[in-house]
Amino acid sequence: MNPSLEPSTIATHPAGSGDDAALAARLAARDAAALREVIACHAAALHRVAYRMTGDAHEAEDIVQEAVLRLWDQAPKIAARHPVGSQAAGVLRLGGWLQRVVTNLAIDRLRRTRRLSDGEVPDSADEAPLADTLIEAGERDSRARALVLALPERQRAAIVLTYYEELPNAEAAGAMDMNIKAFESLLHRARAALRQAFASQGDAP
Amino acid sequence: MSVSEPDQGGPIARGSALARKLDDYAVPGLSAGFADRVLAVAEARSAASLPPLPPLRRSRRGWRIGQRIAIGIASFGVLASAAAATGLLQQLDIPVPTAGKVWASITGTDSAAPPAALAAAAAAKPAPAEAAGPAPVEIVGPVDTPEELAEAFRRIDEVRQGRTAERRAMVDQRIDARIGKAIENRRAAGLPPPTAEEEAAFRAKVAAERARLDQLASDRIAARRAEMERKVESGEALTREDILRPLREDRQAFVQRQEQLRQLRAMSPEERRAALRRLPPEERRALIEEYRARRAGAVAAPAPPQPVLPRSDPSGEP
Repeated sequence: MNPSLEPSTIATHPAGSGDDAALAARLAARDAAALREVIACHAAALHRVAYRMTGDAHEAEDIVQEAVLRLWDQAPKIAARHPVGSQAAGVLRLGGWLQRVVTNLAIDRLRRTRRLSDGEVPDSADEAPLADTLIEAGERDSRARALVLALPERQRAAIVLTYYEELPNAEAAGAMDMNIKAFESLLHRARAALRQAFASQGDAP
Repeated sequence: MSVSEPDQGGPIARGSALARKLDDYAVPGLSAGFADRVLAVAEARSAASLPPLPPLRRSRRGWRIGQRIAIGIASFGVLASAAAATGLLQQLDIPVPTAGKVWASITGTDSAAPPAALAAAAAAKPAPAEAAGPAPVEIVGPVDTPEELAEAFRRIDEVRQGRTAERRAMVDQRIDARIGKAIENRRAAGLPPPTAEEEAAFRAKVAAERARLDQLASDRIAARRAEMERKVESGEALTREDILRPLREDRQAFVQRQEQLRQLRAMSPEERRAALRRLPPEERRALIEEYRARRAGAVAAPAPPQPVLPRSDPSGEP
């Protein structure tokens, strides 16, 4: 399996340590090294979420870039609300903040695309070399991708966050600005829709 | 995982057929130089978003202090004039000389006789009773004449208008606070705040909903009043209870609807739908109207029981 397929959580940064508050303070002071640190720490995970939401690598990069730049813009306010050494600093999680922005941006873009393209999901061109094994892998990949991309945006986000990113329901609900009960209901519907689509592909045992 | 499993929405087990299929969804890595590109944009943005500071303004402290003193003196003068004009100073035994007396003390002339022009003007002035138009209607005992009923309605309207304005100001304040909070939350989440057009559209929607509710309330009141007028014209006497009971019943129905809404909100969507289906159509419609009104932020509670009542004494103002 490709290493990038490995599900992993975005919360690689220890939550509650106050490190993120220090990082936010450095971002607020316009420290480019701090921004590089944020990108190194979170960009790959954010890109996974954005890509699995949109199915388009360029779009996903755009979304991650926009989210990181928003953090850069908002850093003075975030740092002011979570001063280093305060109690508020302990609860700041830049990863969670970025994830919420990426999820919202992806949903917004998908809705806009749907409006413009009348419901068609854009498919990216296959740029892989024409080797049999790669073609086969590509086919498998595109069928899996079609399965996920067939879900409505919010259901898709629920699956991406909980299945692929292995976030607890509470964190995933936070990333989608939902309360936990509503999120669980959405997730339930998403899994049911996914199973139905899987069965209709004829792959179910 | 088989589709024949009873819980279609249950967790996706690792290693199941569906999980294996989902794991085929590969993610490409970020393109080379991604971090450098983002850093370049961020730095360009920082440079663009920090314009040079404007030159310091000259201090206006002296003028501000003078302005405040002038405003203070003018305010004191206005308040003192108002107190003198309303007779407050006489009530406190503070003598207030009239302009004529002051002039007489300066010139030494007798001010007892008013100037001829003033006397003529006073003579020409009609008697207050003639100028006041029809005499105010007194409500004695139960309301049994159209005039007394009209007077009761007038007094109710007087209080109602005051309360409506007060409640409206409160609701406006609440709407402003909610909009402000929503914008702040969106900003905090890194999302764009609504445009001026979007906000204006939302406010227009709220205003339309409020106008609709006002119209409903006015229609209800008009119907009730028409019925009371019919009763009085047919010789029936209305008591305080006859006028207050419908208002109380409205209030009770409103409180009951609030409680029902609270219970509905606590239910799951399926339970809520089932509970709504069980209600009689009128009650369901009223609840849905109430729910929409709350969502629009313009809760228009029916007017609470009015204290303006037909009383036996003529001074029975609210």
